[in-house]
Amino acid sequence: MLDGLGLLLGGITHFLTPLSLFNIAWATLLGIVIGALPGLTATMGVALLVTLTYKMAPDQAILCLMCIYSGAIYGGSRTAILLAIPGTPASAATTLDGHPLALQGKAGLAMGLATTSSALGTIIGIIALALIAPLLAEAALKFGTYEFFWLALFGVVISGQLTAMDDPLKGYIAGILGLMVAMVGMETLHAHQRFTFGISALGGGVDLIPAMVGAFGLAEILGVMKRTVHARIVSSGDRVVPKFNEILKYWRTTLRSGIIGTFVGIVPGVGEDVGAWASYAAAKRSSKEANLFGKGSQEGLIAAETGNSAVVPGAMIPTLTLALPGSAAAAVLIAAMFIHGIRPGPLLMTESPEVLYQIVAVLLFSTLAILIFGLTLTKPLLTVLAVPRERLMAVVYVLCVVGSFAITQRMFDIYVMVFFGIAGFILREMKFPMAPLVLGIILGDLLDLNLRRGLMLTNGDPTPFFTRPISAVICLIIVFTILMSIPAVSKRVKAVLGRGKKEEIPKQA
Amino acid sequence: MTTPDDADQTAGDEHSPAMIRADLLAALALIILAVAMLYGSWTMDRLELRRIQPLTAPGLVPGLLSAALLVCGLILAIRSMRLPAPGGWTSLGAAITSGPARRVGVVLLLALTYTLGLVGLLPFWLATGLFVFAFILVFETWLAEPRRSLLQSAPWAIGIAVATAAIVTFVFERAFLVRLP
Repeated sequence: MLDGLGLLLGGITHFLTPLSLFNIAWATLLGIVIGALPGLTATMGVALLVTLTYKMAPDQAILCLMCIYSGAIYGGSRTAILLAIPGTPASAATTLDGHPLALQGKAGLAMGLATTSSALGTIIGIIALALIAPLLAEAALKFGTYEFFWLALFGVVISGQLTAMDDPLKGYIAGILGLMVAMVGMETLHAHQRFTFGISALGGGVDLIPAMVGAFGLAEILGVMKRTVHARIVSSGDRVVPKFNEILKYWRTTLRSGIIGTFVGIVPGVGEDVGAWASYAAAKRSSKEANLFGKGSQEGLIAAETGNSAVVPGAMIPTLTLALPGSAAAAVLIAAMFIHGIRPGPLLMTESPEVLYQIVAVLLFSTLAILIFGLTLTKPLLTVLAVPRERLMAVVYVLCVVGSFAITQRMFDIYVMVFFGIAGFILREMKFPMAPLVLGIILGDLLDLNLRRGLMLTNGDPTPFFTRPISAVICLIIVFTILMSIPAVSKRVKAVLGRGKKEEIPKQA
Repeated sequence: MTTPDDADQTAGDEHSPAMIRADLLAALALIILAVAMLYGSWTMDRLELRRIQPLTAPGLVPGLLSAALLVCGLILAIRSMRLPAPGGWTSLGAAITSGPARRVGVVLLLALTYTLGLVGLLPFWLATGLFVFAFILVFETWLAEPRRSLLQSAPWAIGIAVATAAIVTFVFERAFLVRLP
C-alpha cells in the first residue's frame, strides 16, 4: 500500500516539469476540441494523434494520448448541451437533459455541472484504477495459456453483447469479423502465413492503427457528410461555475454513476457510451425526481457525465493489467504503447510498475486541466462549434491519409484505411457495433496463440480449458452470456425468475 | 447508440422493413465469406511434414471462427426471412438511391480519387490541396442546402486548401521527417 503511495507520488512529480505540463495543457485542450466537434470522436482523435506523438519520448507520448482521450470524452458534452448533437457517442445520454437545460436558459449551469461531474467521475475511476489494477495484475500472474484464451473470447463476446443490446447477434458477428481480420498474416506458433494470397504486405497482418483510422475516421466522415441537418447553437449568458451545493446536492448519484462507469470501463470493449447510458438509467430508476428526466434534470445530466468520464480510468484497468482493451480508444492506446516499447499485461506491474502510476498521475492532471478549461473557455469553445463541417471533414480526411501512412510509410496502410473506412461505414449503417470488431482485431492473436499453445502443451487434450478453476468460471460466464442473448432462452429464464418474485411478494405483505 | 437525427435518416431502425431486408443481404455476404474461409482453413497447410501436433494446425482457429460466422449468418438470414417486412425491398432501394446516399457516394468518389489516383501521381501537397479545394466547393455550392455562391465559397476553399497542404507537408516532412507519398 505504502509502496503504491510512493509510486503514485513519484508519478505525479515525474510530470511536474514544464514540458509535461505544457503537453498536458495542449493535449487536453485539443482533446476537448476534438470531442466538441461532431464527427470527431475520442477514438479517432487518439488514433490520429498516435502519428503525431510517434517521435516523442514514450512517457510524453502516452501522456498526450491519455489527455486527448479524457479531454475528448468530456468535450462531447459541450456539443450535447448547446446543439443537442452528441459531440462523441459518449455524450448521447447528456443531450437528453443537457439540451433541455440550455433551452431553459441554463446553458451555463449545464456546462458547469457537466464539467464538475466529469471531473468527479474521472476521480472515482482514478481511485479504482490505483486500487484495483495492482491487485488484478497480481491475480493475473496466475493466469496461464488456458485462462488467456478464455479471457480473449470473453472480451469479444461480452463486448458484442453489451454494445448491441437490442441485437446481440450483430455484436457477435462484428466480433467474429474482427477476429477473422486478425487471422490474416503470419501466425506466431509455427510462423505459417495465413490468407495472404501472395501479397507480401499482408504477411505482417493488418495493422491496428490504419484499420482504426479507417473504421473511426473515414467511416465517421461518411456518416457525418451523409446528413444535411444543421443544428442551431443555443447560447446563454448565465453563470458557468456552479455553486457547491449544486454539485453536492446529488452526491449519491455522482458516487453511484462513478462506480457504474468504472465497472463498465473494466468490462472489455464496452466503452463510454454504455457507461453513460447505464448510469443514466440507474439514476432515473432510483431518483425521487424521475419525472424530470429528459426535461432538463440536473441529476440526469450529472449521471450521464459522471458515468462516461469514469469509464476512461476504468477502461485502463484491464488495458494495463491484462492487455484487454477496456474501450475502443484503449485498444488504440495498447497499439501505441507497443509502438513505444511499453508492454501492457500481467508483467507490467513487475517489469515497470511506474507506468501504472504515471497513467494515474496523467489522468489526475488532465482532470485538473479539464476543470480549468471547461469552466473558463466558454466563448472560445463556442467558436469551435461554429466551424462548418464541409470545411472540417476535408481536412480530417487528409489527416486520416497521412495518419495511416506515417507510421510504417507504406501505401498499403492507406489502402487498409480506405477498406476499413468503407466496410466500417456499411456495417455501422446496418447497426453492427464497431467496438467488438476492434476488440476482435486486437485479441485475435491472443485467442489463436493461446488456444493452440494450450493444445500443444497437453498434446491435444482440451480438458484443462474446462477443468482449471479460473478457466471453468470464465467459460461458464461466456456460455451463460451467449445463452441469455437468445430470446427464447432469456424469456424462459426471466419467466422462471419472475415467478419466484411474485411468490415472494405475498410473503412480504 | 444512435443520435436522434440519425434514426430517421438511416436505412431504418432495428426492425424497419428496409433493415430486415438489408439484413438478408448482409447474411448472404457473411455466409459466402464464412464458407470461403472455411474452405481456406480446411485446405490450409497442416504442416504434417514438420510433425506438429495436429490440433495446433494454423487452420484450426480460422476454421472455428468461420464455422461460428456461418452459424451467425444463417441465424441472421432465417430471422430476416421469417420477419414480415412489407415494402422492405422498395424502401431499401429508396434508401440506397436517396439524397444522403448520393452525398456518401460523392464523398467516396472524391476520397478515392485523391487516395488511389492523385497521391503518388502528383506531389503530395498538390494532391492534398486539390482534394480539399474540390471537397469544400462541391459540398458548399452544389450539395448544400442552402447553397452558397461560388464567389462566397471559393476564397475559403482556396485558403483552407493552401493552408492544409502547406501545414501537413511542412509538419510531416520537416518536423517528423516522414517521406510523404
